[in-house]
Amino acid sequence: MFEFIKEFFIEYNDMFPVIMLSLKVSLTSTLIASILGMVSGVATALNEFKLKRTLMRVTNTLMSLPPVLIGLLVYMLLSRKGPLGSLGLLFSPTAMIISQSLLVFPIIFGLTVSNISESAKEIQLTCMSLGASKNDTLKAIISECRMQLLSIVTAGFGRAISEVGAVMMVGGNIKAKTRVMTTYIALETGKGNFNEAVFIGIVLLFISFFINTVLYRLQRRE
Amino acid sequence: MVITVENAIKDYGDSRILDIDNLTIKKGIYVILGSNGSGKSTLLSCISGLNSLTSGNILYNGNKLDSSIKNSITILLQKPYLFRKTSYENIISGLKYKKINNKEIENRLNKYIHYFNVEELLNKKSHWLSGGERAKVALLRTSVLETEVTMLDEPTAAMDIESSMKAEELIKNLSKDNRTVIVVTHDVYQAKRIADYVIFMDKGKILEMGDKDGVLGNPKNKLLKQILNI
Repeated sequence: MFEFIKEFFIEYNDMFPVIMLSLKVSLTSTLIASILGMVSGVATALNEFKLKRTLMRVTNTLMSLPPVLIGLLVYMLLSRKGPLGSLGLLFSPTAMIISQSLLVFPIIFGLTVSNISESAKEIQLTCMSLGASKNDTLKAIISECRMQLLSIVTAGFGRAISEVGAVMMVGGNIKAKTRVMTTYIALETGKGNFNEAVFIGIVLLFISFFINTVLYRLQRRE
Repeated sequence: MVITVENAIKDYGDSRILDIDNLTIKKGIYVILGSNGSGKSTLLSCISGLNSLTSGNILYNGNKLDSSIKNSITILLQKPYLFRKTSYENIISGLKYKKINNKEIENRLNKYIHYFNVEELLNKKSHWLSGGERAKVALLRTSVLETEVTMLDEPTAAMDIESSMKAEELIKNLSKDNRTVIVVTHDVYQAKRIADYVIFMDKGKILEMGDKDGVLGNPKNKLLKQILNI
């Protein structure tokens, strides 16, 4: 086992950019999706409007959307003949971030609406009764629901970092450019290099374990 | 402040929750009595602006609700939400929202906190408080705002007898300086102790209204007579 780890540290230079790009793409897309998803989620949770139920049904469908479909959509948008082809973003980390943001957004939005609806309304009424401004009310809702929101972000991040179909399609799995942990595992498994694939798999698990530990500690502290 | 409720209707789907032709509230303590679902809480939330009427008007000194009037009104909800903070932070939260300076915050706190002797609870997080303690913190949070109109929806429902009496003292104090306090309660004896005026509601309508001695001493309504054992 020790020799196995040693060997991989010798190959460290190859692995490190893959891990870092994975984190960069997944964290950035989770951040974008979280900001947009939470703000729109809180607004939707607080307001009643005609098409709310339809919106939630569509959101629930999008939450379980296969990543390859998102990959296909972004690919068509960014390909040379597509409407955004002139931007030249296909096979770049930016394209990967776009596709993962689209994938994570419905999860953050949907879970925010369903998880905080009741408490958000209660907090809103309390804030209004105490003379809080709209800004103060929004801050209070986010602060009071922070643990639920943190769990939702973690779920979103889990979806992003473990996703392979969309990033493979729009990133192209180009070495040292768009290769991330999941596409690396898929490639190495196909080549029969199970040691490398397993090592990256362990790194993925470790990242997930680390994030869940931080979340658990925060919840305990609350 | 004079609050006038005119032809107020509030419907939820097919149910009519509130149906008030005319109601005028001036200074003093108004106690609203009535059975469950009689529209008491809905009336308070409509007056406070947290809820809107299906039709009709609520006027404040002849004007419609605006931000300056909203600042003069506060309401303690039936199930008050306490922030996941300490009791101290909860009590002063409304004052912070209204950007009251720290010196005044301390003055207000000292003025009201002695009613319940909650000094030892100040640093306790709200989720560790008992139901009665939560009710005290919520009542203090509303009281320290010292608004022109204070509405309290069953403020003592979760309190023990001793704390209820203290709360009643506090409510009486809130009505000083020409202020208006509107209290919803199921406790007829509490109404007798604190009210200047009593409003009796059933099925969204006001069945009886007037000064305490008139309504509780010589009720005309059958249901109220039953409740009062007259």
